[in-house]
Amino acid sequence: MASRSGGLTAAMLLTFAGATPAFPSEELLQDTCGGCHTAEDGGLTRITGQRKTPEGWIMTIVRMQQAHGLDISAEDRRAIVQHLADTQGLAPSEAAPFRYALEKDPNAQESFDEPFASMCARCHTGARALLQNRTADEWELHMDFHVGHFPTIEYQALGRDREWYKIAKTEIADYLAEQNPLETAAWTDWQVGEKQPVAGAWVVMTDLPGIGEAYGKLTVTGEASPYQISGEFVTADGTAHPASGQMNLYTGYEWRANLDIGGTVYRQVLALSEDGNSLQGRQFDRGNDALGAPLHGVREGAGSVILGTVPSAVPAGEAQVQVVGTGLDGLESSTGAASANGFGAALTLAAEGNGVVTFSAGGAEGQIAHYTSVDSLRVEPALTIARVGGGSDAGPDAVPAYFNAVGMWNGPDGEAGTEDDIRIGRVEAQWSVANAHEHAAHMKDTEYAGEMQANGIFQPAIAGPNPERPFSANNAGELKVQAEAMGQQAEAMLIVTVQRFIDPPIR
Amino acid sequence: MKPLNQKAERVQQAAAEGQMEEVRAMQTVTAGCATTFDPGWEVDPFGGLAALCQPMEADLYGCSDPCWWPAQVPDIMVNHQNWDEGAPNAATDWRALGTTYPTDAET
Repeated sequence: MASRSGGLTAAMLLTFAGATPAFPSEELLQDTCGGCHTAEDGGLTRITGQRKTPEGWIMTIVRMQQAHGLDISAEDRRAIVQHLADTQGLAPSEAAPFRYALEKDPNAQESFDEPFASMCARCHTGARALLQNRTADEWELHMDFHVGHFPTIEYQALGRDREWYKIAKTEIADYLAEQNPLETAAWTDWQVGEKQPVAGAWVVMTDLPGIGEAYGKLTVTGEASPYQISGEFVTADGTAHPASGQMNLYTGYEWRANLDIGGTVYRQVLALSEDGNSLQGRQFDRGNDALGAPLHGVREGAGSVILGTVPSAVPAGEAQVQVVGTGLDGLESSTGAASANGFGAALTLAAEGNGVVTFSAGGAEGQIAHYTSVDSLRVEPALTIARVGGGSDAGPDAVPAYFNAVGMWNGPDGEAGTEDDIRIGRVEAQWSVANAHEHAAHMKDTEYAGEMQANGIFQPAIAGPNPERPFSANNAGELKVQAEAMGQQAEAMLIVTVQRFIDPPIR
Repeated sequence: MKPLNQKAERVQQAAAEGQMEEVRAMQTVTAGCATTFDPGWEVDPFGGLAALCQPMEADLYGCSDPCWWPAQVPDIMVNHQNWDEGAPNAATDWRALGTTYPTDAET
């Protein structure tokens, strides 16, 4: 077998549309992995019996590097991930329930039934297991893999109180083999179905934490990964932030991009819809994945679609609103004047008091609230964590937490906190933190755990023992995050905790 | 009474300095010294921080080495044998403790 670099000839590179690196061949997989994984029907041992997300595959390869000494370049590693995710990936419907883990959503909370919750999700997200499909044999081997790598697993809490190995090899392996088998109709259908091209222009809407709600347009060019992306994001005040970068598309729908947006690199973990006309996922600061927000997109020209408005709500009075979407020529609004533009339609409002403006075009409908008062506030998320960090070159950076204040009206029943409350949208708020309870007050958590910034971002303090605190405690803390706006107050719970030293793409 | 070991000597010193409040039995701090997620890495079994070891560096290797929080903290026994290199004492050498997932391993 020729070496990897020799194995990819110039002709092959040209065949694969000139993208760098070239689309991987079976030879690259064979050359890289075949030294340990022997050939069997349909491929290489252990590898053929599994299907995973791109993140799942790259975590496997990294483990081969760290545990088994695999020597591989970053380019070859990505190329093999491309190959395996394309040929042994997950169908969109299989990944859909667990996308929060791929998106690194810091506020997602899982809930699983026993024994899966204690057997698997006690250490890592349940999603990490359920974003894989395997043969029954492979699921069984996966249990033994855990014992081999984590030999104390049987006497840890929630291990020693049961026949861990027996439960793992029977109940859990059987459960996973039934829930997530290698062969599914969803995957078979997805493999044979026609994939939609991703190139073209996309109108998108998101939030740039610390900067503001934003809309934009991204133009994708190229024939294969890595695709080129260029465009811009625009905030409510009209400030444009140029965007450019590259995107890899896996399994025909998994969009993974790194974009420089106004000088900060953001990562996009999105799913392309099966009809190829919409995008959905999360965009976050690549260096700080807690700072992110959902991102929605629609293909320019894909009929009439309204994604929402920027800003999401406006104080009463004169206001400029961007209705974000496509095909919004002739947008009709219950009040104000609309004119179509490249991001949907601009809406000029002059609304008084509290109320809702509705608008529609070509069957697409949307609305925006205008307000002079709110009946209650809500802090989102209601509970999250931040982590101390920094203070060294080697250790993890601090992980901040990002909060928003959302204005609410009471709705027909006149009471706050009930189901008929009306969500107005994001409102400007004054932020502060308080100690969550007596122990936090005793430890003076508000003084040590970090700083609540005016933009709703909590920046945790430095890592390491703090000799100023009792026990030289870390700068951990339990805080109430408080928002105040228009005479209303609301709070959320924030746990500022210690660093995470292992931080893979799927936690 | 004469202290028999360093720990007892620290207790005597704390009493002399009026800092007995900081002297706590392990069981009262961590709800019993157990493994894996009892207490957890991020939060204790009660959903807060009060029952976690503080500072976590004080007993880090004693816990992480036998795979205490295998998905969060590298174990030196099997999977990340060089993680503690340059940091024989976590409480004073914590700055040398790095992350283990390679930053260039991105899809």
